[in-house]
This record gives sequence, structure tokens and C-alpha cells, in this order.
Amino acid sequence: MAGTMTGTAARPSGPREFLKTLLLLELWVGLWVTLKNQFRPHITVEYPKETVDLSPRFRGVPRLRFHPENGEELCIACHLCETVCPDNCIHIVSEKKPEGKGKRLVSFEINYERCCFCGLCVDPCPTKPLTAIYMSHDYEMADFKREGFVAPLKTLLGGVDSKEYKS
Amino acid sequence: MDPRIIQQIVVPLFQVLLVIVALPLAIAYLQLVERKVLGFMQVRLAPRRVGWHGLLQPIADAVKLLIKEDVVPEKSDRFLFTLAPIVTVVPALVALAVIPLAGAPLTIRGITITPWITDLNVALLYLLAISSLGIYGIILAGWASNSKYSLLGALRSSAQMISYEVPLGFAVIGVMILTGSASMVEIVNRQKAAGLWYFLPQILGFFCYFISAVAETNRVPFDLPEAEAELVAGFHTEYSGMKFAFFFLAEYTNMIVVSSIVTILFFGGWLRPFPNVAALGWLENGWLFLGPLVLGAFLGWLFDQRAGKDLRFMFAGGLLGAAAGFGFAWTDAGGLATLDVPVLSGAFWFGLKLSFFLFMYIWFRGTYPRYRYDQLMRLGWKWLIPLSIVNVVGTALVVTLRG
Repeated sequence: MAGTMTGTAARPSGPREFLKTLLLLELWVGLWVTLKNQFRPHITVEYPKETVDLSPRFRGVPRLRFHPENGEELCIACHLCETVCPDNCIHIVSEKKPEGKGKRLVSFEINYERCCFCGLCVDPCPTKPLTAIYMSHDYEMADFKREGFVAPLKTLLGGVDSKEYKS
Repeated sequence: MDPRIIQQIVVPLFQVLLVIVALPLAIAYLQLVERKVLGFMQVRLAPRRVGWHGLLQPIADAVKLLIKEDVVPEKSDRFLFTLAPIVTVVPALVALAVIPLAGAPLTIRGITITPWITDLNVALLYLLAISSLGIYGIILAGWASNSKYSLLGALRSSAQMISYEVPLGFAVIGVMILTGSASMVEIVNRQKAAGLWYFLPQILGFFCYFISAVAETNRVPFDLPEAEAELVAGFHTEYSGMKFAFFFLAEYTNMIVVSSIVTILFFGGWLRPFPNVAALGWLENGWLFLGPLVLGAFLGWLFDQRAGKDLRFMFAGGLLGAAAGFGFAWTDAGGLATLDVPVLSGAFWFGLKLSFFLFMYIWFRGTYPRYRYDQLMRLGWKWLIPLSIVNVVGTALVVTLRG
């Protein structure tokens, strides 16, 4: 068995090596390894029933958010994310605020069929300290219809928050 | 009905039907065990979705294979293509006819049911002859598919099986010299008379036989005929549905046959360990508690992997099973403990040893990488054949010198 190896490299020889080969020592070692492994707890995660723990900085699907404390709308409808988006998957409709300066959102849509999850939309977002658009912890987005991938404002606001790295 | 008719016709038919019906079911579950063990060896969970811990998976697989479309390649030889799986599966099933499951026959109302279908006095020769026939199916399958992968697989297979038939035959001769018989029942009876299992005097023969047997059944590490990395699936590349199921059935039946032969020739078949030590006589009815113990440990082990808690559940299951068995034997429910049923006892020990060798097959599959073709040939011709010849000569010398 073990004596049937063909190799150009010189193999160690001597009575000990010969005995090792004769008693198929390495084959027994191999069997022992598999036998031992059999009794180790499994590492499989049965996905729909269990999920892996996401790391705090995991970046999933881009979503929108309100201010976590006072619940104000963070987005100022500046259209920067829409402009920077390489896939043109963001569609924003805005109107002038009835009183005061600036604009407000009428609708905000992300077409996840096109989105490449690059995160470029988050970088230029001007709201401080929290960006209005952010990479959430959502990652399950399968749907049966194509329409399901065009997410309206309501869906976008329901994202699972990511834990931002505090600097 | 005339008891003679029952004895001569109904009982053999019943035995044959049992083999044909029960065996595929057993094989389906053997396959589940194989997937489980392989999965555990690779620290993952094997099938778990169909039924409790995947216990219905074999049924689902069988149904899938049965209702799957039966594709026949356009340029294949239709007749041979259909014939090949049949030629493969029939010898495998027929070989089981001479395997004795236990020592003593069961007598119910004057009708004797033997735990073997037939007790040929040339059973070993018959087995060697029948197992060689299986090659034809593989070669036919490779040729008829009209596919280069199938043909290459079949060619490799024929070379391999012809090479390993030689040490296989020689390894068996050692046992034949010791017993002076080729009947399976007689061989085990001689082991009982000699008071030891033949793997001790025939360790070399056992070694040669088992390795050749693994090669003969085309299993890892000798699975070159179906080396999936090189040949897609080897000789059964073009097969699907029922025909593929036949090849599958044949492979696993061959595994069972070969493991049974190892058990009978070298490990005393249905005999308990130390068959002549009277102090271990309680092992004779050991199945009463050893059976539940093994079953409990096995179920515990299955459950263990899910919970991932070392071996707690395995031991718990084993203890629970053993306790149940002991309690059963103690209270003697159904009078089974005092009722001496050699068939059950024999079948238990036979099954235990058989399972161990089937486990070895799976264990090898989980451990060893595939041999290269020249390594395979070198091992067969330069190591196993000389070793087995040495074994034959040595055994013959010792037997002659001791008179």
C-alpha cells in the first residue's frame, strides 16, 4: 500500500521508516483523524432556521432612516445619492417645503434589481452625524415578482439598523 | 396445503422475496448512514430536512429515481444500454443466496426456515464466479453509452477488476485449506470447533481479501471507474432514473455481499466472540441488551451532532438502550430471554460484524484519496498477489506439517 508511492524526491529510509511503511502507520493515522472528527460538534448553520451572527460593520442593502431620537426625517432631498449612483437605481421625487427653506421628500425609490450594493450613495449624504441613507443589516430580499424589488419609502425605512463603528 | 409443498416451494420463495424486497430498503438506509457518517467526518450535518434527522431521505431519493425521466442517448446501443444495468444487478443479488445469516434453522410448526437460501457445498467458488460476472455489466454500460467518459471508466474498471480478482481468489484459498470445505455454513462451524475466528491465523489473507474486495466493489480509494474529477461519473455517466438506480443497487449489494463474506470467512459469521469460552455464554443471548445498546448509542450519536455536545447523547442513548434491554431481559417480557432463539442471536452477531465492515467502507471513503491508475496496478500486482500467494503457501505448509 504505502510502498506503492512513486515520487522523484528522495524518501527517508532506514529500519524505522521501513517498519512504518510495512505497518501502514500513516493510513492508521488518517483513519484516526476521520474517526476523531466524527465526534466533533458540527459547524453547519441550517440557514432558514438559524442565521449567522453578522459582524457590526456588515454592509447589506442600502436603506433610509429617521433620526433615532426625535424621529425627524433625516433626508433633505438633495439628490446627491441619486446623482452619484452608478446604476441609476435611486429615484427621488421632492417638493419645496410649504414653509421655511429647503425641500422635502415626496417619494424615494431604490430599484434593487439594478443596485450593485456599492455603498457610493452613503458617502456623499450630507446629513450629520447620521447619514439618511445607510447600509443596513438586511440581506434577505428574495421575491416572486419583479415589482417587489422596487422598494418604496415605507420599505426603505424599515431596515435593520447597522451598528456603526464609533471613532 | 401439503407441508411438503410449503417446505419446498413457499419457504424458498418467501426467502427470495425477502432478499429482493428488504434488500433495496436496507440499501437505501445504508446510503443514508453513509451520508450521515461522511457528513460527520467532515464536521457538517448530513441530510436533515426530510423527516426527523433526515430519516425519510432514502424514501424521497427512491421516489425521485423511480419517477425520473429515463434518458437514453441517441447514438447509444439501445439493447445493450438496457441490458447492462440488469447484468450488473442480477449477479449482485444472486450472490446473496449463499450467505448464511445465522447458524441454526428456525422451525415453526414443523416447517424449517433456514437463515440462508441455499447451502451450496461450493459456495466460495460460486461467489467468485458470480462476482466476476458483474464486470460484464460495467463494460457493456461503458460500451453501449457511446460516450468517451463511459468507455474510459469501463476500461479502467475491467482492468482493475480483473487484476484484483486474483488476490481475492488466493486470499479465500487460505480459509479453504484450513477448513477443507467451501460451504459457508461449514466454514463457520469449523471456526466454532476450532474455537477461534480465522482472521487470527489468516491475518494476511484477511488483509489481502479486504483490500481486494474494496477494489472489486469499485469503492474509494479504488473508485477509478467512476472518478468524478476525471470521468464525470465513469461508466454510468449516461444513465439516469431506474437504470442508474440499478447500478447503485448493485454497488451497495456488492458491498454487503463482500462484507458478509469477510464476516463469515474471517470473523466467524454468526458466532459470538470467543465461541468456546463457557464463561461468556451470556453473550449468546446478548442481543437482548446489546441490540438496544447499539441502537441507542447510534440514535444518540445522530442526535449528538445536532446539539453539538461532545458524546453526551451517544452515551446517554447507549445507557438508556442497555437499561431497557436489561429490564426487558430481567422481567423476561415475552419469555424471550429464556427462549433460546439461535436465529436471533446469530443474526445479531452477524449483523453487528457486517455493520462494522460496512462502516469500514464508509470510513475509508471519508479518509483516503483516490489511487492513481499506475499505483492501483502496482498495488494489485506487486503487493497483493505476492502476499496472497505467500499466504496460501504458508497456510498449506503449516496445515501439512501439523498433519
